[in-house]
Amino acid sequence: MNVCLWGPAVQSESARAASRAEARFRIDAPNSRRRAVKVIALDSQSERIVERLAQSSWAGAVFLTAAGGAPARGERFSISGWLADLAGHTKNLVGEIDSADHVVMIATAGEKLEAASIIGEACSLKQVMTTALVLSQASTGDAVLSQSLAQLRPWALMLVIASAEDYIADMLAALRA
Amino acid sequence: MLKKDQNDLLTQTGPATPGGRLFRSYWLPALLAEELPANDCPPVRVKILSERLIAFRDSAGRLGLMDEFCAHRGVSLWFGRNEEGGLRCPYHGWKYDHTGQCIEVPSEPVESGFCGKIKLKSYPLIERGGVLWTYMGPPEKQPPLPEWEFATVPAAQSFMSKRIQECNWLQAMEGGIDSSHVSFLHRGELNTDPLFRGARGNQYNMRDARPVFEVVESAGGLNIGVRRNAEDGHYYWRITQWVMPSFTMIPPRGDHAIHGHFWIPIDDETCWTWSYDYHPTRALSAEERAAMRAGKGVHVTYVPGTFRPLANKDNDYLIDRAAQKAGRTYSGVGGIAMQDASLQESMGPVVDRTKENLVSTDNGIIMARHRLLRATKALMEKDATPPGVDLAHQRVRSAAVVLPADQPFMEAAKDAMIAREGTAHASV
Repeated sequence: MNVCLWGPAVQSESARAASRAEARFRIDAPNSRRRAVKVIALDSQSERIVERLAQSSWAGAVFLTAAGGAPARGERFSISGWLADLAGHTKNLVGEIDSADHVVMIATAGEKLEAASIIGEACSLKQVMTTALVLSQASTGDAVLSQSLAQLRPWALMLVIASAEDYIADMLAALRA
Repeated sequence: MLKKDQNDLLTQTGPATPGGRLFRSYWLPALLAEELPANDCPPVRVKILSERLIAFRDSAGRLGLMDEFCAHRGVSLWFGRNEEGGLRCPYHGWKYDHTGQCIEVPSEPVESGFCGKIKLKSYPLIERGGVLWTYMGPPEKQPPLPEWEFATVPAAQSFMSKRIQECNWLQAMEGGIDSSHVSFLHRGELNTDPLFRGARGNQYNMRDARPVFEVVESAGGLNIGVRRNAEDGHYYWRITQWVMPSFTMIPPRGDHAIHGHFWIPIDDETCWTWSYDYHPTRALSAEERAAMRAGKGVHVTYVPGTFRPLANKDNDYLIDRAAQKAGRTYSGVGGIAMQDASLQESMGPVVDRTKENLVSTDNGIIMARHRLLRATKALMEKDATPPGVDLAHQRVRSAAVVLPADQPFMEAAKDAMIAREGTAHASV
């Protein structure tokens, strides 16, 4: 009689399917199409970070800036001329959001972040996923950070507080941006 | 998505690997104390971080953890005789003390001092909180003994179990910080499991299926906050703790115990899932202990005589398609622990992260990988002590709280996220 000394005589479906040997037969074909990720700096410090990020090679991420902030109360404002790419060319916010799968807002704790509400509202209307990433140094006070978070929280479905700039690149790579 | 070299770096933890060096910076749970219940009890084989070891408790109660194989001809010391202050190889009688030092070679004259030249690699093994912990790094870098709250409360207040998980540690651990899967995979258990049911917070979970996430770096790892709508302009927050490299603490529910896990690599394709439950201010009841032993909550039942879950890949996890169809379970697998493990094992021994498509709600996972990679690099290049070694990083708690909408959880729940002896946990 043949007896298997080290395990079940017949492998279960799950045991066989989860084996290293079976991993060879996994389909080796792309399983996703390119995502349209728009990365928007909300303040001047973040704009410099976004400029550095844009130097790397990405799968299609578009880097923009709204570092000019929202207009002061009573000031004339044109939403079509408010957003810019990193070369300084004016971009239409609605158009950019319309073609986005995901908007990532980059912010620095303690800076003016009113632009988040305009971008967030547009994303909300167009049902586009929003992530806000706040860079906060160890020296940033709780009150300052809290104020920045309060400006972002209503407009971000995912809010990330990071201590180092290199996280942004890792996050964008992880998201196939 | 990770590049292949990053995935390899994080998932390989054997000797001389960067990931292995990271794990060797910490005290790691190696055995349950009950596995070595008495002096001179039978030795126990241990494989951890891809090293085959033998653990024993000698005649004086000293704990030893050393190379499993006799230095003479490579016999497994699992067959050894644990007697008179050491573990003796039954083949030719070579005997080792709890430090791995050979103390007898019967065939050689005592005067020759030959046995003094033989020493097996060994690691310290200490008992704390019902767990035997080991430190496998360089002796000069040995950190202070662990102070996780579950291990420091009186024994009557805590319960610990472990199980073999048949996949790499990282994909198992990532499940522990993936807060968004709970609303799907475990939805059947919230109101039925005796270790979860009855909490007011469960209702918030069930009512708001679109939670919002906040991921915040902490000194030792991450705080992952998940926000759901509560009454009158308030939010229900569930705050998970992750401390490097692989400790998680899940937010509590009502007056139930707090629970969480360690994931410790056995080798690169299997890991130990350690699961604890503890209550900071009261003893666990007999009913709670019975439920934990019966595999409720984060625990499992076992193949008798082993730490292998009774529902495992060899029996297709006892999948019950009728229960799945009827909505009693979401995946057809019973029990929270095996619902997680079955899916994580289905990814294969080491998941290929070059093919995954993460989304924004996976930021907890992305940040954890980022911190592990950063700490490993700093350790390799600058010999920097990684986060999680500092005892202050271990004195943390998860929390479940209802806060006014304008209060950030990091401020409003700051005190609740620190373990303080004798103070109750923040739970809803």
